[in-house]
Amino acid sequence: MISRVLLVMVTGLVSACASYGPDNGQPTPVERSEPDAVESPAIVGPPMPPPGREPSASRQPSAGGEPSAPANPQTPATAASTLLASVDTAIAAGDLERAAAIGERALRISPRDATVWYRLASIRFRQQNYDDARGLARRALSYAGSDASLRLQINDLLDRLNSL
Amino acid sequence: MTEHETDRANSLSNSLSNNRRPWRRRLTWALGLGLVIGFIWLIWIDYQVRRDFEALQWALPARIYARPAELYTGAHLDAAGLTDYLQRLGYRQVETVAGPGEYQVQDRQMRLQTRGFQFWDGREPGVHAQVEFRDSRIASVNAAPVTDAVPAAGRAFEGSLPLVRLEPVEIAQINPDTGEDRLPVSLDQVPESLVQAIIAVEDQRFYQHWGVDPKGILRALWVNLRRGEVAQGGSTLTQQLVKNLYLTQDRTLRRKIEEAVMALALELHFSKDAILAAYLNEVFLGQDGNRAIHGFTLAAQYYFARPLAELSLAELALLAGLPRGASFYNPRRNPERAINRRNTVLLSMLDQGYISADEYDSARQAELLTSSQPVRRNRAYPAFMDLVRLDLARDYDAEALRSEGLRIFTTLDLRVQGAMDAVLEQAVSAVEVPSDDGVRLQAAMVITDSNTGEVRALTGSRRPGAVGFNRALDAVRPIGSLVKPAVYLAALESGSFSLASVLSDRPVDLMTDNGQQWSPRNYDDEMFGDVYLHDALVSSLNLATVDLGVKIGVDSVVEMLEKMGHSRPIPEYLSVLLGAVDMAPLEVARFYQTLASNGFYSPLRSVEAVTTGQGERLQRYGFETEQVADAASMFLLEQALQDVFVDGTARSAAESLADNLPLAGKTGTTNDFRDSWFAGYGDDLTGVVWLGHDDNRSTGLTGATGALQVWTAVMKQLDIQPRQTRAPDVIVWEEVPERAAVRPTTESCRDTRLLPFRAEQLPVAVTACLPGESMLERVFDRIRNLNP
Repeated sequence: MISRVLLVMVTGLVSACASYGPDNGQPTPVERSEPDAVESPAIVGPPMPPPGREPSASRQPSAGGEPSAPANPQTPATAASTLLASVDTAIAAGDLERAAAIGERALRISPRDATVWYRLASIRFRQQNYDDARGLARRALSYAGSDASLRLQINDLLDRLNSL
Repeated sequence: MTEHETDRANSLSNSLSNNRRPWRRRLTWALGLGLVIGFIWLIWIDYQVRRDFEALQWALPARIYARPAELYTGAHLDAAGLTDYLQRLGYRQVETVAGPGEYQVQDRQMRLQTRGFQFWDGREPGVHAQVEFRDSRIASVNAAPVTDAVPAAGRAFEGSLPLVRLEPVEIAQINPDTGEDRLPVSLDQVPESLVQAIIAVEDQRFYQHWGVDPKGILRALWVNLRRGEVAQGGSTLTQQLVKNLYLTQDRTLRRKIEEAVMALALELHFSKDAILAAYLNEVFLGQDGNRAIHGFTLAAQYYFARPLAELSLAELALLAGLPRGASFYNPRRNPERAINRRNTVLLSMLDQGYISADEYDSARQAELLTSSQPVRRNRAYPAFMDLVRLDLARDYDAEALRSEGLRIFTTLDLRVQGAMDAVLEQAVSAVEVPSDDGVRLQAAMVITDSNTGEVRALTGSRRPGAVGFNRALDAVRPIGSLVKPAVYLAALESGSFSLASVLSDRPVDLMTDNGQQWSPRNYDDEMFGDVYLHDALVSSLNLATVDLGVKIGVDSVVEMLEKMGHSRPIPEYLSVLLGAVDMAPLEVARFYQTLASNGFYSPLRSVEAVTTGQGERLQRYGFETEQVADAASMFLLEQALQDVFVDGTARSAAESLADNLPLAGKTGTTNDFRDSWFAGYGDDLTGVVWLGHDDNRSTGLTGATGALQVWTAVMKQLDIQPRQTRAPDVIVWEEVPERAAVRPTTESCRDTRLLPFRAEQLPVAVTACLPGESMLERVFDRIRNLNP
């Protein structure tokens, strides 16, 4: 019994130290406080890499920090958003294949824009091309980051596809 | 005269007088019959002319286009690249842009007026745009400000232009058996000046005569005598059209009569405009290898690389002079003659009041500027065209491609193909180990879009533009260590392995299914004992890979290869683990494409859409994608494949690609150095290089000393974009002992490094070094000591 009490106390002490120590790695999610989770840009990224090794882009936290922005910082939303407007026009005119063609054009310009992938998935869904819709929706999800509302829409589409 | 002779004379005269009446009758009959036959002949000719002309339909070649360039902020294109592209479209550099097909350059800016184009997804309007560049990218695209040259009225666009799609460059065509090529247009698409020039020089009284023109013949004779040269022809445009459409070039009297009758028949049934339009599209105007240039629209493209509507009076007059002798007056081969002929045409136009004296003077002094002889359309990009033909063959038969005038829009990127062609030969020479008998090392390379699987460039030889054996499609060779990512991905997907799983890199004797002993070896016979899975892939260790493969089973590796698009049957031999799998470079590209798009398989495509000659969409090959591997597994695998450039088999390229890292890739070498492979990818492009010999002899190169160097040279030229792969939420980074050990101790954790893991699946190497964990261990130890 004494040893158990001791254990809990020591554990608490250790973890308290650990979260402020310089080289302690990531605290486990359970212990992470709420403000920390919001402020830290690197929810999933690693701590600073050890000296002497170049950090690779996949280790850099930036990609995880701005989920709703297009992945390529040099690509403004305007080119893709213009095309997405044309996608709407084509859908309104009932030419879904044209809408898909324009969507793919947007994809070549902003290949990591989850919205574009999701729009393409929706068009394929409307065309009852469910296999392609599923693949495109999954791809959309993989780029959606923490854009909660977009994730919700994509998951909704995937649910509908799975219930077919 | 004897009596006998008299009798004979009498009988002769009798017989003559007896025969006189039947002779006349026969003549009458013959004449009648002749008239009837002649009449039937006329009706037949009339019928034939009517039938053929009504159904006049030329066999038209399929035209193949490269991917159109898109101008938008951030696009990877510099001023030199855009200039090159515009020149391929026949745009002219001018002081001040005043019309479509023109551009001007000033400092970091370019101004251009596009022509517009009917794409498969709609019409792209022509715009007058101003493009700014920064750091080899487009910094902004705006509508050109209103000036005198660019009036505000009638302008559809103002301010920022989010996106401008240029016309696609035509790269090749599939010609009809006749070898004839043309771009038929209606009369209202032909500039007035061209029609006037043709009428002035070929057939002044075209609108007055009935198909043949006796007055015209006399006039032509007079003009020609006066000028001492054949300036004008006697036969009408109608006659010339008839000759081109129905008759051979024989100059017999019978042909002349036939021609005249047919011309009359044509005029009887059809309007002048219909005849003129047919003439403008039909007439022969040049020869390009085995391709015959017919019609003025195509001639404008062929000689000036520009549409008819953009040509000057002088250029139109030059074309109008060509029907007299397309070869004799060829402006590229015989510029003097062509200019003289042009000036003759201009003089005729002046004589007949079509142009003013001023127009005449300036046009006749205009410099002759033909475009450079284009690459033969049936020979351009032969390796890529092989792939296009292969892809098209699924939906179109050869006849349709040769005759229906289809427009085929491909995924070829001229920037990428151009850079590859510019660098490849030299890069191959730089690594080549000279052979005793002078046989040169061969190469193949495929570059695809990392995100969409569209083929951007392809070569089947070290020499760009070489025809013949297409190694990119047909050299099916063992892929060596290029297979390893499939082995490691299958392991990571199984859920039982992490990057810090410990593998055994030690000698092993295995029994194959057919009872033979197999003792694989490492590349340089160096062995590492216990190694992390991560390091085994980064350093391409054969023995550790076999250890892993045996644990997960060859069948799961084969299954993974199939999921990633491999379609040939793979025997489930252990040697598959080390690359005893045969693939053509294009198939390797498909395999690595799945890695580049983070575990989503997409079939490779070379054709995006097919339309009719008028731009009506017939077929579109849409984008397909299917998830074949989990995002976390892909992230872990890519970590290792990125480290191949950091401290693995591709580290020799790291310095040269410093601005482009991180990139991911894998080297491959086969037995006796027969094949040198490298496959790698950035965010935008995936590339596969193969080096080897057609007779399978040794290259003396590893993947790293051969193919990697070539890949690096090409990708540096293309400024390949670094990977920005985002870590899925389940990934955490943890420290593990620097050196792998099956049972790590606290001691092992003295030197550590970071590796990514699935949060729910931390291996013992991680838990052993968790500071909290190890302190806990110590606490536990103390407690145990306290309570024995």
